Amino acid sequence: MAIAKAERLMNLALCLLGTRRPLSKRELRGSIEAYLEAFGPGNGAASGAESGAADNATGSDDAFNRMFERDKDDLRELGLIIETVESVDGETGYLARRDSNRLPPITLDVEEAAALGLAASVWQQARLAAAASGALQKLRAAGMPLAEEVYGSHSALETRIPVHEAAFEPLMLAARDRRPVVFDYRKANSARPEQRHVEPWTLECWRGHWYLAGWDRDRKAERVFRLSRITGKVRSRGIPFTAPVPDHVTVRETVERWAGETATGTARIKVRADHGYPLRARATSTRELGDGWDELEIPYGHGLDAWLVEFGPDVVVLEPAELRDAVLDRLRAVAKG
Amino acid sequence: MAGNAIDQTRRMLSLVTYLRERPGARVTDVARAFGITEDELIGDLDVLPMCGTSFRGGDLLDIDTDGDRIWWHNPDASGSSTGEPLRLAADEATALLVAARAVATLPGLRESGRQALVRATAKIEAAAGEAAGASSRLSVTFESEGGVFADVDRAIAERRRVWITYYSPARDELTEREVDPIRLFVVGHTYMEAWCRLSEARRTFRLDRVAEIRLLDEPSDPPPVELRDLSEGLVQPAAEDPEVVIEVGPGGRWVAEYYPHDSAEELPDGGLRITLRTPDPASLRRLALRLGGDGRIVSPAALADSARDAAREALAAYGE
Repeated sequence: MAIAKAERLMNLALCLLGTRRPLSKRELRGSIEAYLEAFGPGNGAASGAESGAADNATGSDDAFNRMFERDKDDLRELGLIIETVESVDGETGYLARRDSNRLPPITLDVEEAAALGLAASVWQQARLAAAASGALQKLRAAGMPLAEEVYGSHSALETRIPVHEAAFEPLMLAARDRRPVVFDYRKANSARPEQRHVEPWTLECWRGHWYLAGWDRDRKAERVFRLSRITGKVRSRGIPFTAPVPDHVTVRETVERWAGETATGTARIKVRADHGYPLRARATSTRELGDGWDELEIPYGHGLDAWLVEFGPDVVVLEPAELRDAVLDRLRAVAKG
Repeated sequence: MAGNAIDQTRRMLSLVTYLRERPGARVTDVARAFGITEDELIGDLDVLPMCGTSFRGGDLLDIDTDGDRIWWHNPDASGSSTGEPLRLAADEATALLVAARAVATLPGLRESGRQALVRATAKIEAAAGEAAGASSRLSVTFESEGGVFADVDRAIAERRRVWITYYSPARDELTEREVDPIRLFVVGHTYMEAWCRLSEARRTFRLDRVAEIRLLDEPSDPPPVELRDLSEGLVQPAAEDPEVVIEVGPGGRWVAEYYPHDSAEELPDGGLRITLRTPDPASLRRLALRLGGDGRIVSPAALADSARDAAREALAAYGE
C-alpha cells in the first residue's frame, strides 16, 4: 500500500527543517521512504552523475519531480519558507532555515486565548476553518494556555460566517497571491453571463453575502461583483496586475448604493395606520391624517419603488411624481395578472 | 483526501513541538489542547513513528502511547528542528485576524472579552509579520443591531424574560410577545433564538425586526430545547410545506439568489421557473407585488389571485 501523503509531507518537512545545508532533490528522494518506495533512488544516485540526471530522465523521474514540486507547494501553504540554493556545481538544493521559519515569541494570556478561540470558530468555509485551527495549534505549541470555556459555558453569542459561494476559495487565493482571474458573471438583470477579466483586490462579507472588489481589465475601472452571480469556474492567470491596488476599497458603499440605501431625495407617502412599521422606522416625519392614514416623509433612493409596492394597498405615494409613476407601473403589471 | 493530509501534516508539526515539552502528556489533555478527537490524535501518533529526518539513518521519532499517556523516547534524535513552533502561514494569519477583527465589532462581547481580543489581534499581527498582509484582502462586517443586542445579551446573562414587539413582514404587522431568550447568533443577520410564551414554541427572531424591547423582572425559564443547527442554513422548508411556482423574467432572476428553492429551470427568454416550498405561501404576496412585470406566480392560484387583488385595490387608491 502506498505510504500516506501526510507521512510523506511530514518527512519532507522534518528533513528540510532539520538540515543545516541545502539538500539536493536526489538526497531527499533517497532518504524519504515514500519517494524511495514509489520511484526508487533515481538515476542520479545510481550513476553518481548529478548534472546529467536530467538528460536521461525516465518516466518515474518525471513523476517524482511532479510529486516533489506539489509537496513543496503544500508545505509552503502551511507556512514553511523553503529556500532554493544553487550549489557551485549547478545542483539545486533545498532547505527550510530555522530562523526564517520560527514563530516569533508570543505570549497570550488565558483571556486572549479564549477570545481567539471564539473568533477562530466563526469560519464554516473548510479552508479557512482548517487554517484557523492550524493557527491555534501552532500557538498552542508556542505555549498559548488552554482557556476555560469562558464563552462556551455562557453561550450568549454564536457567530458564523456563511460561505456558500463556490467562487470564494479560488478568489481568496487569487487575491492573496495577486493573480488576475477570469470568470463568467451574470449581472442582476441580465439573462446571460458575460466573461469578465478582473484583478481581485478584496473580498468582503456584508449582510451574509460575499462581494469582490477589483479592477475590471476590460472596462479599465474598479468594479464590485457579487459572488453568487459568478457562474461556472473561476480561473486564475499567471500574469501580473496592471492597475495599482488602492489602500482603501469601498465595497460596502457600492453595495449600499445597489440596495438603495443611499438616499438622493425625500418622498412623501401615505401609510395606513398600524401598517408599514419599517417605513415608519425610517421616516423623518410622521403626521396623522385622521382618516385611518398617516403621512410620512422618507428618504428616497434607488429601489424604493419596488419596496413600496410590497405594501400593496396600504401605501400610497404622493410625491415625487417619478416615484409615483414607477409604483403605478409595477402595480399595473401585477393587476393584469 | 488531500485537504486532510495537509491539515494532518500541519497538526503533526505542532504536535511534536508540543509533546517535546510535555513528557508523559495525557491523550485526553493533548486532544483537547489541539481541538481534535482522541481517535484523531491516536491516528497522528500512529504516523509519527514513521517520520524523522532521515529514513536511512534510522533517525525516526520514537513516540508511542499506551492509550492514556504519550511518551517520546528520543526527543533529541531528530535534531532541534522540531523544537520550535513554526511561523504562521498566510491563510492561518488571515483566518484568525479577519475573524478576530469582525468579532471585535460585535456589541455582544463583554468589554473584557473585547479588550482581550484586541490585544490578541495586535500580538498575532506582530507575530505573523508579513504573513499578516494577506488578511487585508478579506473582511467581514456583521450587522449588529446594537441596542437590541445589548438588551438581549443582558437578559441572557441575568436569565430574565423580555417583552418585545416584533415585526412580521409577511403580515406587515407588529405583534407583542414575551419570550425567554436562549442565545444570540449571527448568520448574515443577527438573530435571537428564544422560547416564545405566545406560541409556546421555540422561535427565531431577527434583531432588526424587533421594534421595541424591555427586560422583565420575571425569570427566564425556557424548557430544554435542542438548539438549531446553524451549519444547515436558517431556512429549511419542510417536505410537507406547500409548493409555490414562480416564473420570472431576466429582471427577476435575483429571486433565486434570495429564496432557498427546490429548482430553478432556465426559460427561453432568459428567465427562470423557480419552485420553492414555504409553510405560509400568503407571505409571498409581497414578493409577487415587488416583482411587478418581472415575474408572476404560477401556482398556487390563491396566491396569484391575492397579489392581483392587492394590486387592483392599490390602483384604486390612485384613482385607477
